[in-house]
Formats: sequence, C-alpha cells, structure tokens
Amino acid sequence: MKTMPNQNSTRRMIQRWFPNFPNDRLVEIHSDTTDFFRLNYDDVVVLGERAYFIRQNAKEGRFGLDDEEKFWVKRAFDLEDGSRKIIKLVFHERFKTLIGDIEFECFRSPRKEARILELAGDHKNFMHGYAITDEKGNIVRVLDFIYGKPLSIMVQDIRLDHETYFHRMFPAILERYIECIQGIRFLHEHEENHGDIRRDHIIIDRESGHYRWIDFDFNYRQRESIFSYDLFGLGNILMFLVGKGDVLLSNLSREKHPALHRIRADDANIVFRRRVANLRKIYPYIPESLNRILLHFSKGANWFYESADQFLEDLEGYRKSVGRNGSSFEGRDNETECETFEDMFEGKDRR
Amino acid sequence: MNETAHNNNKKFLVVVDASENSRRAVSHVSRMLGGLSGFYVIFLHVINPPEEDYFSCRSEQEEWMQQHRIEIDRFLKGYRQILIQEGFDPKALALKTTLRYRPSIVECILEERNRLGCGTVVVGRHDVSRSEEILFGSISSKIVSNAKHCTVWVVE
Repeated sequence: MKTMPNQNSTRRMIQRWFPNFPNDRLVEIHSDTTDFFRLNYDDVVVLGERAYFIRQNAKEGRFGLDDEEKFWVKRAFDLEDGSRKIIKLVFHERFKTLIGDIEFECFRSPRKEARILELAGDHKNFMHGYAITDEKGNIVRVLDFIYGKPLSIMVQDIRLDHETYFHRMFPAILERYIECIQGIRFLHEHEENHGDIRRDHIIIDRESGHYRWIDFDFNYRQRESIFSYDLFGLGNILMFLVGKGDVLLSNLSREKHPALHRIRADDANIVFRRRVANLRKIYPYIPESLNRILLHFSKGANWFYESADQFLEDLEGYRKSVGRNGSSFEGRDNETECETFEDMFEGKDRR
Repeated sequence: MNETAHNNNKKFLVVVDASENSRRAVSHVSRMLGGLSGFYVIFLHVINPPEEDYFSCRSEQEEWMQQHRIEIDRFLKGYRQILIQEGFDPKALALKTTLRYRPSIVECILEERNRLGCGTVVVGRHDVSRSEEILFGSISSKIVSNAKHCTVWVVE
C-alpha cells in the first residue's frame, strides 16, 4: 500500500513554492477524488508518486455569460517542480444539448480524454498531460497549464477593420489554424474525435505561438459518422476567422449593411441560421476559392466534407491560389506584421 | 463468389433497427418479394453501444446491453414474422447481429454484405433534417455513396 506524505513533509513541500504558507495550517491530504466537492483550496491531492497543491476551481465562460465554476476541475501546482496544472476529476454527467435546433445527448468521458492525452503525447497542437487512477480507480487527468489566450479572444481583440485584418493578419492565423486541423486529422486517423471543437478550445501558446486544442472529454452518442461533428466545428471556426468574428444577420440589419438585400436563406450557416456563411457577399475581396470552402458549411451546400483530409486539401488549394503567404495584398509584409500581434490586442487575458 | 455473382444473386441484406423506417423497409421487401421463390433474406442489426463511460457503473452498462438484446430479439422476430406472413419460407430467413466494430456503421454493414455475399442491401431512410445528417451522418446516404458491386434499395 502506498504511503501518504505526512503533515510536516507536505507543509515543507508547499512552503518550497509558497513560502507564506502558515506553519500551523493543517493540510487536508486526499488520495480518493470521488467526491470532488471535498477537495478544496489549500488541500493536497496525491496521485501516484506526485502531490498537487490545489488552488481554485476552474471556471468557464462563453458567449458573454458569467463564468461557470467547474467543481470537478481544479487549478493546482505540482509540488515536485512547482509547475501549474489543471486537474480534472471524474464527473459522470449526462445532458441534452442543442446545436442550432438539433438536440442530442452528451456525456463527459474521462476515458476518452485519457486516451487522447496518451495519443497526442507531446504533439505541438494539443494540450499535454497524463491520466492516472486514484486509489478508488477514478481516472484523473493532470494537464500542463497553457499560458496564453483562446483563439476566440485573440481575434475579437484585434483592433483593425476587416479588410486590413483579412490581408495583413488572416494569412498567418490561417497558417496556424491549418496545423490545428492537421492535429484533428491525426486524431481521426486513430479513430478518435475531439468532440467539442470550438473557437475557445484552441489556446494560443504564449511561448511557442502554437495553436493548441484543449478539452477532449466531451462525448456524445455516436451515430453513423464519428467525425462529421468535428468537421462542422472546424468549419465554424474557419468562418469565424475569415469573418473576424461571427457575421450575424441581426448586426447587418441593425447597421443597414448594403449587402443585406443580397443575402439569401442559402447563405446562412447550415445549423446556426443567424450566422452568414457566404462571407464574400459581405466582404467582396474574400477570394472565391476560400469562399467556396465556407459555402460547404452553408444551408445551400449540396456536399459536405467527409474527412479532415478533404477540408485540408481545399485549404491548401486556396493557399496556392493566393501565393505562399496567403495574401494578394501588395506591398505588405505579412510575416513581419504578424510578429506584432500582441500590439494590436486590447490586453485582455481571460484565461 | 465473384462480384458479378453477388450483384445478380437473390440474397437480400435488410439493415434494421427498432425504428419505424426499418419496419417500412421490411414491409416493402415483403410486398415486393412475398411469395416469390428463390429469395433469401438476412436481417442485419449493428449494435451501436454507448462508450463505456456513458454509464456510471459497470452494472448499468451490462443492464443496457441486456435490455438492448431483448429489444433486438423482439424486433427481429417481428420482422421475420412479417415476411413469413407474406409467404416467405422460414428457412429462407436469417437474423444477424454484430457489434459496431468500425468507426462507421456503414463500413460494418458493407463488410457484412461482402462476407454474407448479398446482392442487394435494403435500408430505410431515417427522418432527419439535412443539418442533422451533416452533423452525425446518414446511414442510407452513405450506403448509397459507398456500396459497390451490389444493388441498394432505400425505402422512404
């Protein structure tokens, strides 16, 4: 049987990284994570040979909603090397969700996330970490904290008009995003799916600049295709990146946009009917070859991508058609511009 | 058996589940082939179980599988009866179930068709929206696209 660290040695480990931790504080040491509500701030959880010092519960906010506290996800520090970790505990949750008006049943799958962590290893486009079972057999995932902001926030915070953004910044963003799609292709090649592809599930690693997928535990009852839902998510992100945000019919209407009268029902996103997919109607400088890709995610599409390979092939075709740096905007050095991304942000870091 | 022989034989693979669409497909087969001799029908059901951690414990998973097997048994027997009532020889009918063993259910179906040497695949079309078909895939559409060396009946 494994020996648990005692109070004194645990306190010494904590004080190595948190010198102000009081000498007289009794530390709660856990090795059973079944009841994740019992794991609190300043507690220690021991998993295998390593001890982790728990800080706050993680939070997640989306679409302007208040951050929701996730009690089964703990922010923590590895007491061995002082590194920041995210510790995800087992939470058996089953729920119905809506995508557009389509309802489907979802559940959290620690096993799936554990498999993908192992498969991804140190792949540059994924979060890293490992899975370990606690003394009760719960599959706990210990994730390396990624310093950086979500792709969604990065794009929203760019203070440029669309045309300038599209010519100066989008090519480099697309370059990085293509690497992310290649990452998803890698999963699919191994018969795994991400399951929750969203613009805020890509974190831009502040150190390396790589775009990295996070959160693989979302799962749903599979029907015929286990990859289509991922492909739909990839298409939505592309639409968001090309449009520098969602292009919503309600906004166009409010702005009395001159292109509004040209928008047809077929131009909308295939599921989210208020989002415009045919962005060339709004931004005519978007090349046809890129817009054609977006149209495969529109209501008028008569053909949908069946694999990440097909999607990548079309994106490669687009890149070739506009040149290596992906822009036909003359007299601008895209690569140089893209090194100064940070200067254009408003400095928010919600992660 | 070579591929041409597959294409022309009188062995039908009817892909079914508990849905009304499957029942329609079976009824269509019974109306089209009932009373004719020489036809052989295999009902195929691909079990698509949820992943292990859809369930909170092992016993819940076992219970799901047990219930599902009872359900399969019920509808397969019912479909068999429909064909017998239309004049099919019970000896010309077979039932087959298999667990989903590939990422795509259609791949399982087509592999089974090949293994069983059926010249025709029959499937009912589910009443799903275009968006839903794109998000989760459609068995009937994919069979139409991917089936080779056989005839496909899609019953609306």
